[in-house]
Amino acid sequence: MTTSDDRLKSEELLDEIKRHYRAGEVVDVEEERVKVVIFTSAAQRYAFYGSAIREILPACEIWWVPGLPEYLPGLINVRGDIESVIDIRYFLGEERADPGTCHIAMAAWGAFHSGVMIDSIEDVVDIPVSAIEPPLSTLGGTARDLVIGEIRHGGATVTLLDMAKLAAKITL
Amino acid sequence: MNGAGDTRAAIGLNLLLFSVGGVAFGVDAEQVEATLSWEGAERDDVTWFHRELGYSGGAVAYRAPSVLVIRTGDSRDYRVVIDMMEDVAGITSDDIHPFPPLVEPFALRKGLWGIMARGGRIILLVDFQRLLRERRDADAHGEVAKDGIA
Repeated sequence: MTTSDDRLKSEELLDEIKRHYRAGEVVDVEEERVKVVIFTSAAQRYAFYGSAIREILPACEIWWVPGLPEYLPGLINVRGDIESVIDIRYFLGEERADPGTCHIAMAAWGAFHSGVMIDSIEDVVDIPVSAIEPPLSTLGGTARDLVIGEIRHGGATVTLLDMAKLAAKITL
Repeated sequence: MNGAGDTRAAIGLNLLLFSVGGVAFGVDAEQVEATLSWEGAERDDVTWFHRELGYSGGAVAYRAPSVLVIRTGDSRDYRVVIDMMEDVAGITSDDIHPFPPLVEPFALRKGLWGIMARGGRIILLVDFQRLLRERRDADAHGEVAKDGIA
């Protein structure tokens, strides 16, 4: 059985199957990926999108300023630029950290920029967007307001936080 | 800080530097009418710096207190006990950083308007006239503290 241009039906079918496979491959290759920075805070694992983090600073002196709310422990001097520092634990419902031992993640999201106190950096990884799962409904407290979703990394669950939501939470 | 293409002239400033509770401050010398030694007796017309600035955590130890008499532009005296008068520093406006946007609204309420990095530490610039105005406004409106959380 041949078609009008003398091609076998099996050839037509095979071509169609290959087109389908190629389309599938293209989808796989182009699946959107996103970089995340995984860190610890009070023995829990969290992450921010990599696009929201400029750099990670080692523990440095945080200069206290009178009259600041609890979530702003003070100021840091980053190579001559004075930046604010946010204590992320306040928003995650965790006990306050010792500022002297914390690392600082320098965050920038639109006009918002500040240091964010974290315990340590675990990893920086590229993950498919499809790997981000909805947050657990059991997640409670203030932290829930900041969560985008959850990812799996190294056999553990990591809570992905939204810098935009953190920025919006701290009104100017 | 002068940006590229900024042709304004830097403004000179003499700062009196002091510290209270381990935090370094500077005040424009033009605001200070006199510096007096602290006599050790509480007086109604004298306030303590740490109370004015709302230090948290209660008592603050003063090791070498003295009294700043602040020019207020009116007949009322404004006397503040400070600690550890250290130095007089001549600086220009180019040496002064504004507070970061997240911190500035809270700082301004306490009369803190700028920052200077000097000798590896950060010095907070306090405007006593602004502090007095903020305090009088707050008293007039019966304001309570705001934490800025949405």
